[in-house]
Amino acid sequence: MYDYIIIGAGVVGTAIARELMKYDVSALMIEKENDVCNHASLANSAIVHSGHDPKPGTLKAKLNVEGNRLYEELEDTLDIPLLKNGAFVVAQSEAEEKRLKSLYERALENGVKDCSILDREEALKREPNLNSKVTMVLDLPTTKVTYPWEVTLANAENAIENGLEFKKSTEVTQIEKTDDVFTVTTSEGTHYKTRSIINAAGAFTGVIAAMIEEHPKFEITPRRGEYFVIDRHAKGFINHTLYPVPSEKGKGILIVPQVHGETLIGPSSEFQDDPENIDNTKDGLSKVRKGATKLTDKIPFNKVIRTFTGVRASSTHKDFFIQESEEVKNLIHVAGIDSPGLSAAPAIAKYVVNTLIKANTDLRDNPSFNPRRKGIKLFNQMTDEEKKEAFRYDPRHGNLICKCEKVTEADIVHAINRNVPGDTVKGIKKRSRAGAGICQGGYCEHNVIHLIAREKNKPVTKVEYYDEGSYILKSETKVKQ
Amino acid sequence: MKKEMICIVCPVGCRLSIDTDTLEVTGNRCPRGDKYAKTEITNPTRIVTSTVKVNSTLQRRVSVKTSDPIPKGKIFDLIDKLDSVDLKVPVNIGDVVIENVFDTGVDVIVTMKLGE
Amino acid sequence: MNYDLIIIGGGAAGIAALKNAYDPSLNILLVEREKSLGGILKQCIHNGFGVHHYNEELTGPEYAVRGIESVENLDVEILTETTVIDIEKKDSVFNIRMTNTHDGEHTRSSKSIILSSGCYERTRGAIQLPGDRPAGIMPAGSAQRYLNMEGYLVGKKVFILGSGDIGLIMARRMKLEGTDVLGVAEIMPYSNGLTRNIVQCLHDFDIPLYLSHTISDIRGKSRLEGITLSEVDEEFNTIEGTEKDFDVDTLLLSVGLIPDINMFESLSFETSKKTNGAVVDQTYQTSVEGLFACGNALHVHDLADFVTEESEKAGKAAKTFLMENGQKNTSFIDLEASNNIGYVLPQKLDMDQPFDSVELSFRVTTKGDKGVFVIHQGDQEIMSKKARFVVPAEMEKITLKRELIDTTEPISIRFEVTK
Repeated sequence: MYDYIIIGAGVVGTAIARELMKYDVSALMIEKENDVCNHASLANSAIVHSGHDPKPGTLKAKLNVEGNRLYEELEDTLDIPLLKNGAFVVAQSEAEEKRLKSLYERALENGVKDCSILDREEALKREPNLNSKVTMVLDLPTTKVTYPWEVTLANAENAIENGLEFKKSTEVTQIEKTDDVFTVTTSEGTHYKTRSIINAAGAFTGVIAAMIEEHPKFEITPRRGEYFVIDRHAKGFINHTLYPVPSEKGKGILIVPQVHGETLIGPSSEFQDDPENIDNTKDGLSKVRKGATKLTDKIPFNKVIRTFTGVRASSTHKDFFIQESEEVKNLIHVAGIDSPGLSAAPAIAKYVVNTLIKANTDLRDNPSFNPRRKGIKLFNQMTDEEKKEAFRYDPRHGNLICKCEKVTEADIVHAINRNVPGDTVKGIKKRSRAGAGICQGGYCEHNVIHLIAREKNKPVTKVEYYDEGSYILKSETKVKQ
Repeated sequence: MKKEMICIVCPVGCRLSIDTDTLEVTGNRCPRGDKYAKTEITNPTRIVTSTVKVNSTLQRRVSVKTSDPIPKGKIFDLIDKLDSVDLKVPVNIGDVVIENVFDTGVDVIVTMKLGE
Repeated sequence: MNYDLIIIGGGAAGIAALKNAYDPSLNILLVEREKSLGGILKQCIHNGFGVHHYNEELTGPEYAVRGIESVENLDVEILTETTVIDIEKKDSVFNIRMTNTHDGEHTRSSKSIILSSGCYERTRGAIQLPGDRPAGIMPAGSAQRYLNMEGYLVGKKVFILGSGDIGLIMARRMKLEGTDVLGVAEIMPYSNGLTRNIVQCLHDFDIPLYLSHTISDIRGKSRLEGITLSEVDEEFNTIEGTEKDFDVDTLLLSVGLIPDINMFESLSFETSKKTNGAVVDQTYQTSVEGLFACGNALHVHDLADFVTEESEKAGKAAKTFLMENGQKNTSFIDLEASNNIGYVLPQKLDMDQPFDSVELSFRVTTKGDKGVFVIHQGDQEIMSKKARFVVPAEMEKITLKRELIDTTEPISIRFEVTK
């Protein structure tokens, strides 16, 4: 019998799980995919927004601004990367200037620090490749970029270190409640009992709600966004995160320098029925290209190494839908988490625990909670001295596996053996960056497959690319059956 | 009747024309093309390249080829036969893997050098 | 450790460069990241190598062994399983950072470098193929390695995008190993590979070739389930209504090769947008003195024989540079690609170097059964050569005699198609 079951191991679910482990509770996190961070948390702009654009007074506004501040602390505590490059919202006409000024007022009202309006000259001085049509810019220096895979992993790893139980590849199929106890049935046929459920299942929060509520108060309306990824060797054409002046559709198509040097171009915004449809389309990519080119014409599209699509778990509510179920006690919905979900995640976690849970429950501190988590220290991030020491301890650091991102065999073995293990090719890419470079695994994939097979003691034909069953090698040749 | 074909003997790829009755060949830039066109009509043959199992620490398969072209119809049979070959290092270029395969007078030989 | 020359990459190019760079007085190191020399030739188990260079038809591995045997007894240092991760030039010395499990990350210095690091395959992302992104999609060369060196089939029902040689060769190879090969699609109206490969890889096995087609959709959640092929117009836009669906579990991409020179973070040299490789003069020296480039790392070749020829020249030039204390010149004549020519190499002529003639390598951008290559200097036509059956897929060469070069104006080459 658990105190809490958290459904969904995205950036929000894992943040809540970690926040809960600060207290003397028993908790289980269940994730239907075969790794943490496989859906919306995996495929987004990676921006920690300043909090400039949500409507004042909303949860989005409050939790975005607070989350932005919390990331500064978490950078060290959780060992997550933060690129503090700031952002510009770019106006290119009088009409846009008007909206920009309102946006500035809104930012001030939301409590965004250090923001200001810049004129054309100043903007071009700081960002020379901006479209020369720029007339005015809103400077948002508290805007940062992080690495959402690392953030989610850090949350999960730290929570597990502190006592969280985690079950991946496990889908919730049924939820029932008798008296004060929930019975959560999963795809493996197991029944888990718990006093409370945190529904952080992203695009599937609606499905979870419908398992036990008669009339769920929200509906998920999946909204896709397509992106280009520009190789890190082409970085530097833009330094700030660039936003156009927003519309009712959302923040618009952005240009976002990433922590490891790539640049993301996107996202588009389109509603779709299927929450799991993440394909790229010619039209979608074309829209992204058109939109981004309005911000600058210097985008090196010939250096695109990858395209991807993320699906936001938008809902029928404009604001985040974070509240206890009106029908079922101790079922807390954390739904409708689209932008600024990543930015707000640490604050959402505190809100759920400190405001919602503590309202009806006494939580005793967990005296042995260790907030600090150290990530894999990748070889290429070490100093020369650290490298010498690391190599002396483990000569596998001398075996370079990914030539594009400079990842060693020892890095990959560490990634395979973390407490949230990376045992798929994509899982290794998330944790070590092997395969994230310009050749996209063309050179290193076969070696990554062999390392996973070796460390996990399984045949290479059973090594997966991404999700369950996504085997890369079909069969061995010349073996008489 | 005239048949058009592209010679595959070397990377140039001459466009050949052969009279299927007289077997007269035109379009070839060297005598090999003449021979190729005639053979292609009467008894098309191909060199077959493939791999066989080997116990090297450097690679799990080693490349082999037929020392000469074999009849096209026998290609898949040959591939099948190669499935049961299991070589042990050291292997050298020219090592005979299968002698006189299907009584064609052609051997299957190793095309790689593996010491370990 | 200080060397006179470090050669980066021990494939066809590095081996040939080593052979001609060698001199007993020079301290030479060859660095290779794989377990053994030979580079990509090791997995190219098919025939077609050596016809020019050895007057014999060899398979890739045999061609590699010939080359290796010509250098294995030379008094040079060869390091395998060692990867170069950066190059930096300080004063007149190159500091090359490399790593292996024996010494870890360390630096070796050299007066000169030959960059013969080969090329990598263009990815799905780089051509922005639409659709899902499941397992089962990979470059043809990766599938070739899995099959030929490791003994694994990557799928049971395959479609191939791109009719370049790698795609055609893999079509035959997969078919021979029992895979269903449903077709090869090519966006151009003609194939990109050697004609002989169309015959012996596609025709022989009744594998259809869909010219002027591209992939307009890809479906599959965990593993590929199907693709949609669409015809394209002259501007390469898909034509609605021409969609053809195929049930496949594997899509191999043969959509181009790119010189692998991105890993050197600290060294910059002039590169060409046309070749994606370095800009060089006729001695294969780049814009950085003492840095030479050859083989696929310089520009993508279709015949290993040409890689060998070119790299032997580069090796010889490096030796001359070292033994005769070669000076970096600053006055060059530019060589330009004009009408119907994609690129020409070298891109610069160093007129202070003694030479009787220079061999220009180039590719046309349009097919031509009959035509003329015309070389101009300024307004003056200085040379022409008949062209027969030229295609973009096959590199052409022209020898330009020095005596024909009159002025210091740029020299350009163009291709006039008559048929």
